[in-house]
Amino acid sequence: MTTSIRASRRRGKALTYLLLALGSGFVVVPFWFMVATSLKPQAYIFDIPPSLIPQEVTTANYTEALGKDLFGIYFLNSMAVALSTVILTLFLSSLLAFAFARLEFPAKEKIFYLLLLGMMVPPVMLIIPQFLVAKNLHLLDSLPGLVLVYVAMTVSMQTFLLRGFFEGIPRDLEEAALIDGASRWTIMWRIIIPLSRPGLAVVAIFTFLYAWDEFPWAHVAIRETTKRTLPIGIALFQSQHLTQWGQVFAASIVALIPVVIVFAIFQRYFVRGISTTGLKG
Amino acid sequence: MTSKSGGSAPAPRERRIGLSGRSKITPGSNRIPSARKLGRAALFLVPGLAVYGTFLLGPLIYSARISFYDWNIVNPELSEPLGFDNYSRAIGDPIFRRAVLNTIAYTLVTVPGQIVLGVGVALLLNQAIRGRSFFRVLYYLPVITPWVIVTLLFEYMFVGQGGLVNWVLRDALGVIDHNILWLADPILIFVPIHLLGIWKGVGWTAIIALAGLQAIPQELLDAANADGASPLGRFRYITLPLLRPVLVFLTVVLVIGGLNAYISNLLITDGGNPLDLTHFVLTLMYEATFTRLDFGYGAAISYLLAAFVFLVSIVQIRLLRQRVEI
Amino acid sequence: MTRRTRLKVALAALIVLTTACGQAADTTTTSAATSTTVAPTTTVAPTTTAAPEPVTISYWHTMSDPETAQLEAVVAAFEDANPGVTVETTRFAYDDFKAALLTGIAGGEAPDTARLDIIWVPEFAELGALLQLDGTMPGFDEIAAGMFPGPLATNNWQDHYYGLPQNTNTQVLLWNRDLFDAAGIAGPPQTLAELADVACQLSSGEQQYGYALGGTYFWAPAPVFYAMGGQVVDEGVTTATGFVNGEASLAAMQMFSDLYDQGCLSPNLLGGGVGTSDGHATGLYAMITDGPWMVDIYKGSYPDFEVNFSQVPAGPAGSTSSVVGGEDLVVFADTDQQEAALAWATYLLSEDTQRTMAEVGMIPTLSGLAGDGSLPAYFDIFMQQLETAQARVPHPKWSDMDNAINNAFQRVLRDEQTPQEALDQAAEEINSLLSQ
Repeated sequence: MTTSIRASRRRGKALTYLLLALGSGFVVVPFWFMVATSLKPQAYIFDIPPSLIPQEVTTANYTEALGKDLFGIYFLNSMAVALSTVILTLFLSSLLAFAFARLEFPAKEKIFYLLLLGMMVPPVMLIIPQFLVAKNLHLLDSLPGLVLVYVAMTVSMQTFLLRGFFEGIPRDLEEAALIDGASRWTIMWRIIIPLSRPGLAVVAIFTFLYAWDEFPWAHVAIRETTKRTLPIGIALFQSQHLTQWGQVFAASIVALIPVVIVFAIFQRYFVRGISTTGLKG
Repeated sequence: MTSKSGGSAPAPRERRIGLSGRSKITPGSNRIPSARKLGRAALFLVPGLAVYGTFLLGPLIYSARISFYDWNIVNPELSEPLGFDNYSRAIGDPIFRRAVLNTIAYTLVTVPGQIVLGVGVALLLNQAIRGRSFFRVLYYLPVITPWVIVTLLFEYMFVGQGGLVNWVLRDALGVIDHNILWLADPILIFVPIHLLGIWKGVGWTAIIALAGLQAIPQELLDAANADGASPLGRFRYITLPLLRPVLVFLTVVLVIGGLNAYISNLLITDGGNPLDLTHFVLTLMYEATFTRLDFGYGAAISYLLAAFVFLVSIVQIRLLRQRVEI
Repeated sequence: MTRRTRLKVALAALIVLTTACGQAADTTTTSAATSTTVAPTTTVAPTTTAAPEPVTISYWHTMSDPETAQLEAVVAAFEDANPGVTVETTRFAYDDFKAALLTGIAGGEAPDTARLDIIWVPEFAELGALLQLDGTMPGFDEIAAGMFPGPLATNNWQDHYYGLPQNTNTQVLLWNRDLFDAAGIAGPPQTLAELADVACQLSSGEQQYGYALGGTYFWAPAPVFYAMGGQVVDEGVTTATGFVNGEASLAAMQMFSDLYDQGCLSPNLLGGGVGTSDGHATGLYAMITDGPWMVDIYKGSYPDFEVNFSQVPAGPAGSTSSVVGGEDLVVFADTDQQEAALAWATYLLSEDTQRTMAEVGMIPTLSGLAGDGSLPAYFDIFMQQLETAQARVPHPKWSDMDNAINNAFQRVLRDEQTPQEALDQAAEEINSLLSQ
């Protein structure tokens, strides 16, 4: 390697860092603002002009928000719902995606478009009919009821995503296995799924985030206080005339932690998955 | 291994992730009768479609019924059938028309914005630099922060009397001499709404684009490098074409998201303020349903939107699939 | 590896599905009382056949933290007094409450009782979701007779009552004493003409405004509008012509328009400015109109700020007025525990309960409690103002009417129309809503 190439690489790297740092600024300012606000006493929350560094730091918002009777229960409910939704969605959308990517059957594309409809319709328009369905199946006030609706709402998008990933996997491996007499089921679990870890990681991240944050459905479907999820709990810091913004922000930051962890874990897996699957070529 | 498997391995150039061409026919599948094919596929299809059908498709059909009535939610059997009246009323309603324009403008601004910036960030994050994971998490932060919270933050930054943005423009940069009332103007109010849409979506777009970039064989780029291609040339002639399926996927999903946007608008415009000029289609639907209790009209509006989204998406998928296969 | 993964995934899915079924069955058989630590009064009477069947009634509300805590005490006392009846309370966020109620009504899963914003009662009554109280509630006439007329009127729809006011409020004038002193103004304005004068004396560019409204939605200008003598519709709720565009209504609109043009009314009302409560405490707005909750808000956010209330300045006719706010108690039509629900409603409206809830800032709706020494001192000014305060139009289409006035106000401030043109248009829009 000549020195000029090395020098230009170094310059390229410096530029990369510069751009990344600049972008980070834009990403972080509003976010930092949220952290700063959560550390301010109620009196200074909406300073004009806004201050990005709290003059007076307090953890009162955190202790008060987290000290509410049911915060812990809301957190656990959300965790159970989000994890179950991820597992069930991974399972069901993998099956569907495999069928659309690898099997031939009548009306395949029609069924696929019918499924895609699910990612196109606005969720709010479905709330009242969904409520009727859930009521008839005795799934109101029930966390599993939330899970089933969440899976139904997200399975289209995740199948769409996974179908793409599955189709990107070279067929030579399966063809060999088919000739050796393996069933489709075996092919899916032994070949396709292990090779699709990056795709599955993406699905897991998106699904977790969706189920963790979902508000409109959980709000109407869960009326028993002890079965509520975190977004509903946080919304209750707002009352008609007074909103405890410091507490809302503090609770929201705490609610972000699991999502950041899930993302941090899966994004690594995501990279490793890609480098070990041989997709690099 | 037979030689067959080696022979049919696709060349790297054809590999794709994201949305790609129709699957090729598996060897021997032509001979199986379609009923048996369906039976075999049922194992894979039924569990997912059952959940989907019960909790999404069923309610969707029910909602279609509502759209043809002056719906009585207490006694649905007393609802007055209106035919297509709710639909024609929407199409003739200037507030609805304005909402359609606002929604389309939002989509036309935020989708390219997210894609250009997202791919840019993905290119940066795809390099072998230290702290890559850190930056990935950092850029993903806006994606995972709830809409309600970030909307409030943007609204606060754009407060018309001494907010952060006015402070920067007036006191720090001196480009304006009077405070701008961003949120009181039916056009300027979209500045924070559009910026928020882009800001919140870049991280998501970048993650998907990054997955696409990582699937591009390094030796292709190395070979181009050895041939003396400039970074721009490599991007133009290798990365971009190979990224196309991912870009298709991104465009489809982001357009759907853009046309269905509503939370930020609902919170910032508080239901179309000022003068009902700032609605999105979905905020109008939300208002019709849950503020005015006009359920049939709300359902009709959402059906018009859903039909439009469906058409746009199908056209996009068809068009872009064809291009991928050329 | 692959086999294990497969097993794990399959197992996990199975677990999810089975818990789904199990849990679904659970919810139909047991309905656990959620209202925290309620003593199980139902278990007391063991063998007597005359013991009433234990019943559970639900009550939905949007109270704040301290109010909710106080409510629990009320529930416990009610349950002690009514063995066999359990009250299950659920708290909702105000912004999303209506959606939760409507969805519940659509699914036949409405609560037995709830506390609604007063402007929703005619809407829900029109839907057929609420129980008519006159004629069904024991002692209704007597209870209704003891209430402030303004709040009571908000429950009337087509000559029947579909609720009773549970707590009420109104707006009064808040004035910042420091700013008044600095300008050498002795005290709050007593007439609307004075209000306009003082507002301009206390204004200086973008640094300070004499008067500020929270927005252009009707609630914000309503105190001045009503004090000026303005009306939205006639008493029989049949027409807006000559009312919303009548002389007094026009005068109110003209006053706001003039103040705004002179820079004496803060531009925040157009949208996206500094909120009135923050602006008032920080000295940006010398005067605002707002409700009793400001006491608690300032206690939390601006502990050093001295809040000063005054009656809404009198209009040309010499009398003050304001707008009625608050919440109404309703019973839903499809309750299967009507008797217990009505007993609970009666209990909530009793003098004792009203006094208990007053401790956390809820203004009682019983006119007999006006001037009662046990109530917080700052209630006085609000209860005085309530004597003249008026209810907004009790009509299911009120939110559309509100929007019509809101838009008229915006068009005037933006110089798109004169007050006369804007209110004429609003009158036309409201008339078409009334004729639907």
